[in-house]
Amino acid sequence: MSRKTIILAVFFGLFASLSLSAQDISPERKQAIDSLALEKVRDLSKYISIIGNKSTPWSEANRVIDRAEELFMAGAEMGVSSLYQSDVMYFKVRQYFERLMRLNYDRVEIEWYKIEYVSDLQRQPDGTYVGVITIFQKFKGFDAEGNLVYEDTTKKDITVYVKRKETQIGGRLIGFWDVLLGDIRVKETRK
Amino acid sequence: MFQHKLVKTTVFAVLLMFGLDCHAQSRNIGDFEMDETQLYAMTKQMSQFFSRFNYEEDQFGKKFHPSSADYRNNEKRKNLLPLMFDAENERTSSNLKDFFIEDLTRTGDSNFMSFLGGAWYAEAEASFEFQGKSVSIVMILMIEKERLGSKWVLTNVYFPQFNKLFPEGELAEKEKHFLHPMSHELDFFNIHKAFKQPEVIEYYASNHFHPDYLTLFFYEVKLGRLQFKQINNLKFHIFQMKDWYFEVSYFNRPGMNSGWLISNLMYIKESEKQNLIKFYQP
Repeated sequence: MSRKTIILAVFFGLFASLSLSAQDISPERKQAIDSLALEKVRDLSKYISIIGNKSTPWSEANRVIDRAEELFMAGAEMGVSSLYQSDVMYFKVRQYFERLMRLNYDRVEIEWYKIEYVSDLQRQPDGTYVGVITIFQKFKGFDAEGNLVYEDTTKKDITVYVKRKETQIGGRLIGFWDVLLGDIRVKETRK
Repeated sequence: MFQHKLVKTTVFAVLLMFGLDCHAQSRNIGDFEMDETQLYAMTKQMSQFFSRFNYEEDQFGKKFHPSSADYRNNEKRKNLLPLMFDAENERTSSNLKDFFIEDLTRTGDSNFMSFLGGAWYAEAEASFEFQGKSVSIVMILMIEKERLGSKWVLTNVYFPQFNKLFPEGELAEKEKHFLHPMSHELDFFNIHKAFKQPEVIEYYASNHFHPDYLTLFFYEVKLGRLQFKQINNLKFHIFQMKDWYFEVSYFNRPGMNSGWLISNLMYIKESEKQNLIKFYQP
């Protein structure tokens, strides 16, 4: 490679990285990414309901935990606190699901409020976009006699990572947005 | 009585402003009676606080397109801003609030909040274990731009034990402690006097010396003497609006006035802000 070619390559490389740093998401693109992220969060909500349901067979619940875990970045954690116990308990995602599966109630009801709030996306230093989706869950636990023994409403703030990736399909490079869930803050809002 | 009336007015205003119909937002799922009206009214994230403050989203949290007439509409913003204050706090329900809103909603685009605009700080009060005891330390953080994006960075800490190490001494006492200007000729042998009173060792430093509490904090953490337990409380200090400072706190309570709300408001001239900001970003 001649010296001129190397200089040109460096110049275009620099130009490409500069235009990448200026890359911004249009409102339309943001809406599409939000939908993608919300789809993952809805999958998570669905999985939580299945895992928490006492009539779900053990093996099925474990299979769903595996699926649920795939939604997350490696190392993601849950930080949980309640109204009367402000201490934050930290759980690895799998640990949280397993704990949910083993809850000592005869019957549980987990429902989700229809409301969801999606934050703006901000870029972290490596260029990955980060956002937070807030959802609300209502939980009720019943004993063998069918009495309600525990209930709460929790706010779940879920980190969402969005990254532009490329894959080869039929010899062509196709760009796509990859969405993964990260740490979740679970806060009780009311009894 | 006053507070009750204020809350009722706020509820009515939220419903009116956002056009929320309680019945429309209620639904039954199994045994649950789900009323989402309060959750819509709640400012659920700081991100939403920014969007509502700037009037960039509708009542359901859906963003306005920047080309829309609603986007940053100051007339509509004027009606929404009063609902972003803690209605149960008299400090934020005085005439000052009206002046603030009036000032903010005049034409001109310098009065909108910007995530990357600097001059806003997070104050995270946390529990640590220090010398076998649980202690409270306030950590100050700010957004810093880096490479392709940004990150939160620590800028200062407030830990009374550190401050006690460097009390504001009396001038007369300070003036007694110095190394005379010919000490070098004595190979500084006389410096031992400085170390005899470690509690005032800083008097021997330059007049420009200011203790760096963040370094002390890192030092204690690195030695393993200060161990993090958890964040207990979080609030934000916003200096972005010209001549104004306000604080935003989270109100975890039922009703139509909850979530991230303005919990303190002060009129401060730009020239005076710098002294205040020094605490957050020394």
